[in-house]
Amino acid sequence: MGFEQFVFYVFAGLLLFAGAMVITVRNPVHAAMFLVMTFFTSAGLWLMLEAEFLAITLVLVYVGAVMVLFLFVVMMLDINLVPLREGFMRYLPVGILVALAMIIMMGLVVGPEFGAHPVPERHGPDYNNTAELGSILYTVYVYPFELAAVILVVAIIAAISLTLRRRPLVKHQDPDAQIAIRKQDRLRIVKMDSEKK
Amino acid sequence: MPFAIPNYNVAIPEMFVLGMACLVLIVDLFLTERSRTVTYLLSQATMVGAAVLTLTTYSQEVVLAFSGTFVRDAMGDVLKAFIYLSAFIVFLYAKPYLQARKLFKGEFYVLGLFGVLGMMVLVSAHSLLTVYLGLELLALSLYAMVALQRDSIFASESAMKYFILGALASGMLLYGMSMLYGATGSLDLGEISREVATTKMELVMVFGLVFIVVGLAFKLGAVPFHMWMPDVYQGAPTAVTLYIASAPKIAAFAMVIRLLNDGLYGLHMHWQDMLVILAILSMAVGNIFAIAQFNLKRMLAYSTIAHMGYLLLGILTGSGDGYAAAMFYTLSYALMSLGGFGMIILLSRAGFEADRLDDFKGLNERSPWYAFMMLILMFSMAGVPPFLGFWAKVSVLRELIHVDMTWLAIVAVVFSIIGAFYYLRIVKLMYFDKAEDNSEIKQDLDLHVALSANSLGILVLGIMPGPLMALCASAIGVM
Amino acid sequence: MDDMKDIYLLIVLAPLLGSAIAGLFGKYIGRSGAHWVTIIGVATSTILSLIVFKDIVIDGAPVFNETIYTWMVVDGVRFEVGFLVDSLTAMMMVVVTFVSLMVHIYTIGYMHDDPGYQRFFSYISLFTFSMLMLVMANNFMQLFFGWEAVGLVSYLLIGFWYKKPTAIYANLKAFLVNRVGDFGFLLGIAAVLMYFNSLDYADVFAAAPLMQDMTMQVIPGQDWSLMAVIGILLFIGAMGKSAQVPLHVWLPDSMEGPTPISALIHAATMVTAGIFMVARMSPLYELSETALSVILVIGSITALFMGLLGIVQNDIKRVVAYSTLSQLGYMVVALGASAYAAGVFHLMTHAFFKALLFLAAGSVIIAMHHEQDMRNMGGLKKYMPITYWTMLIGSLALIGFPGFAGFFSKDAIIEAVHHSEIAGAGFAYFSVVVGVFITAFYSFRMFFLVFHGKERMDEHTRSHIHESPWVVTVPLIALAIPSIIIGAIYIGPMLFGDFFTGAIFVLPEHDVLGEIGQGYSGWGGFILHGMQGIAVYLALAGAGAAWYLYMKRPDIPTMFKEKLSIVYKVLDNKYGFDDFNEKFFAGGSRRLGGALWGVGDVKIIDGFVVNGTAKGVVWLAGVLRNLQSGFLYHYAFAMIIGLLLLIILFVMTIG
Repeated sequence: MGFEQFVFYVFAGLLLFAGAMVITVRNPVHAAMFLVMTFFTSAGLWLMLEAEFLAITLVLVYVGAVMVLFLFVVMMLDINLVPLREGFMRYLPVGILVALAMIIMMGLVVGPEFGAHPVPERHGPDYNNTAELGSILYTVYVYPFELAAVILVVAIIAAISLTLRRRPLVKHQDPDAQIAIRKQDRLRIVKMDSEKK
Repeated sequence: MPFAIPNYNVAIPEMFVLGMACLVLIVDLFLTERSRTVTYLLSQATMVGAAVLTLTTYSQEVVLAFSGTFVRDAMGDVLKAFIYLSAFIVFLYAKPYLQARKLFKGEFYVLGLFGVLGMMVLVSAHSLLTVYLGLELLALSLYAMVALQRDSIFASESAMKYFILGALASGMLLYGMSMLYGATGSLDLGEISREVATTKMELVMVFGLVFIVVGLAFKLGAVPFHMWMPDVYQGAPTAVTLYIASAPKIAAFAMVIRLLNDGLYGLHMHWQDMLVILAILSMAVGNIFAIAQFNLKRMLAYSTIAHMGYLLLGILTGSGDGYAAAMFYTLSYALMSLGGFGMIILLSRAGFEADRLDDFKGLNERSPWYAFMMLILMFSMAGVPPFLGFWAKVSVLRELIHVDMTWLAIVAVVFSIIGAFYYLRIVKLMYFDKAEDNSEIKQDLDLHVALSANSLGILVLGIMPGPLMALCASAIGVM
Repeated sequence: MDDMKDIYLLIVLAPLLGSAIAGLFGKYIGRSGAHWVTIIGVATSTILSLIVFKDIVIDGAPVFNETIYTWMVVDGVRFEVGFLVDSLTAMMMVVVTFVSLMVHIYTIGYMHDDPGYQRFFSYISLFTFSMLMLVMANNFMQLFFGWEAVGLVSYLLIGFWYKKPTAIYANLKAFLVNRVGDFGFLLGIAAVLMYFNSLDYADVFAAAPLMQDMTMQVIPGQDWSLMAVIGILLFIGAMGKSAQVPLHVWLPDSMEGPTPISALIHAATMVTAGIFMVARMSPLYELSETALSVILVIGSITALFMGLLGIVQNDIKRVVAYSTLSQLGYMVVALGASAYAAGVFHLMTHAFFKALLFLAAGSVIIAMHHEQDMRNMGGLKKYMPITYWTMLIGSLALIGFPGFAGFFSKDAIIEAVHHSEIAGAGFAYFSVVVGVFITAFYSFRMFFLVFHGKERMDEHTRSHIHESPWVVTVPLIALAIPSIIIGAIYIGPMLFGDFFTGAIFVLPEHDVLGEIGQGYSGWGGFILHGMQGIAVYLALAGAGAAWYLYMKRPDIPTMFKEKLSIVYKVLDNKYGFDDFNEKFFAGGSRRLGGALWGVGDVKIIDGFVVNGTAKGVVWLAGVLRNLQSGFLYHYAFAMIIGLLLLIILFVMTIG
């Protein structure tokens, strides 16, 4: 077992452990922190696979932006997770059973045939993963790339349209309207008969 | 690295729709509530323009572009044309509904246009990547549209369900695609098709295939991946339900053909059996559950599930004629579905949804004409001759018999007889029961005209199904 | 050829369009709008039909046989709409459109005060459309469509006055009796489809000679000639539509409808559909003498016995109705004797003079304020001269007075039967000859009772009698002219010339007309030849007897009635057909139906099968509904389970 393999197993083990912790710990802040850990460890694995750009992006985007945002939300909303977890134990056995069945089948199917794949060739130190990705992304995959951009636009539109509210009850001054006011808008003269009794 | 400038010409309709969607997005910002109609008109113009662009460049040729991730062929063009038509009708029907509920906002149209773009991408996809991106673009637009009515708990709930289940299905689809990629080493459907024919890694492929079929089944709403449909159909505003129930099904058909036929025809033996199971379950569950419904939108959701079962029957034959029949079925379904939800919109008004079966009681007294239109729609959905739905069922069943699956055709007929029950119940309610609500039907003239044309079109196409059938056959490439 | 196709389409569609406008928008276009739009439609058809007639018959244009529209193709059998226009069709088109046009015009006067004016015009135009579809068909499916469509319109029109119980009874009766015939007809078409695998006339006729010796077994062990079975089944349809014994019972009752209808549908056109159909199918009928014999015998029974019934009728329209039955019998006899041309020829002359008689009778009825009983008429000659003379022309044509249209056609039939050697020809000859006397007798009985003798109507009616308006008399005159001359003009080409070459097919050994034609020397010669036969004198004797019995000695018929009360009763009861049908078929089937309904329908089918399954399914649906719980994790779980099962089913089975 070389050093490289040792590193791999460390990262892989940590990754699995952190993943399991994400869905088992009670405190949501802890869960988020464990999720950060899974990101870091998988970034490490990607680095070993010569996917340097992706690894860095994972750390930057997911750890730096997404998870921070996530933590903000969790802290601000202060969700009480106890009721959400009520059914957890009840469904756990069935869930575990199904998950086990899936894992076994995946293992049976994927295991033997993928072992036969040849090991990919290693690139030298002068190999630039980022440049390689960039050149292919903007040429061969330009169409999917643009589509991904459109999806992001839609996501933004959706997010804004679903959350942006003009609150009519918030009190604020509107000088424009104040100046433009006319007498008849505010004042109503009512004719009444004098009371009879 | 040598790189050729892509052939942009073939994707001009897509580019046009994208450009117009962005234009509508920006123009809408500067519009006041009263001039919102401009957004509507621009959206309709987009559909018309896209149709012109697609149809003027129509040809039977198959052209690949963008390094093989995009394909332009006759089937795609015909399906796109019908997608524009469906979206056009949806926008038209939806307008009065949205106006009456303070939902007449630019977002509906912008998201609708992006959804159409997603469908177009899906229809023209020739790579696992573009299939997935098109699907996500469409799905994301739909999730947002369902949730558009923010102050309705039902809409929010159904949007949430739709989103989570959709994400789950996407995950499964993606997992299946990754298996395929692993086994064939390519994302290109043509490449995959060649690999499938020669490979020895059958087990992995079938494993991936199962996940892909699950993803497709979710999109179509085939049992047991249908659970989202009744809740979403009922919970979403009717205008959005109308959208979900029409054009995306056409795109879903294209997606099935692209993946299963263009990419995985070599595994036909396997996916045929899977589709048989899904089809039987869909026909059974759809038709039987529909009977127990009291809400028309929910009933139509189950009816859609059943229709998707029949649609799968055509696809599972694996023959060109079968695909043509399934395509004919899809287009017929889209037209009938538009009419059905259009009727709900017609009868609804602010504060009244008209989506219970009881709301159709005594329609004949209130408006004999629309009772008759609804009768056409219901008969057609039930598959009564001489309406369009009859020919759709007949052509699918005929293709089944041609591939020696007569037993399945018989099963299908039995379920369609069960299904006739709930369609005819509506006819009974309209003609033989007393109206609960006698208010006048007040809607815009364009809705009246379009809805009448929609129903009569089903009658006319039922009397003369030849041209549409021939169109489907030529689009698929069997003559 | 293409422009001809458009003309044919226009001929068919113009009346349909008129009908649709009058029917759907009758409220908006008003009464005059309704009759204008339909008359223009039918007039267009008439003029174009005449052009087609000239084109095909006189200029000898080639036969048109083309498909207009393919409705569907099922297992190689094409269901199409197409036109076959040859001389036979062209002649029928002219007759149908011309009589229809006359009736349209006449209706303006006859239905003047009727609240259902627009509806009526819509129906009769629709009828014209259906009849044209029938005669122009080039395949069995379209023939059947036209067949059923005219039946439907006939049903609607007999019951036109739907508030009158007798009219409703009559239209129901017509409908039911025709269903019996149509059942046979449909079986016949089914047999054609089964053995020829095509519905196209041309295909079927071309293949028919090859099938001549084919047999089929309906009852095991019994070999029946295929052609005979097909021929007789189709003829059963013709029996219903053309009112042959025993399916004739509906026609006299159909007189409950308005008179223009009686003229158009129940005398001139629809009832001749059966005759037309048999003539069109001549290539099939020629192959089976059995079928021809059946036709011959049925026709002669109808010709003789229905004529007898005409003698005892008092309702003016019923007399004409029974004469129609009898004349239809003549036509059928001609068909049975393979003299198809003579049958069709009689069909044509009959269409003109029978429409004339009906319309004249209608004119009388208008004048009498819708009184139809002849016993309350008499001496109308001086009030209604035009009606009188046209009625006289019609009657003379009907009895076959030499020179009038009916003479040529009827004499040709009698001659043809005389020459025929087919089984039953002897009886047929006897029937048609005696029939001539009877025809003349009842025709002139009616004529004298209505126009001559004492004026038996009440004072009030008498003071209002006057000649009908021009819209009534013009059609009468327009129909009187062909009733005189059309026979002399067309006897040469139609019977002995090559008018029907290619349209009607006769085997050499059956060609009775050819035999007669050897001695034919122009229409004048035919009259001279006829004068040597017995028929003309029988006709004159009949007319004379009518004059003597009803003008000179009216006590004799009364005496007959008392002395021979049994005969009179039998005739008055129409040989008891109605009673028999009423008691046996109607009563029997009602009882049978009641029993089946009580046990089969209510208990087994409704109770168990229909309601049982429906209830079962509803129950099942209600139970299963709980599966759709509304909980997200249930849904997600269902998806996962579905995925798992698919994997187990498909992936594990490979591994």
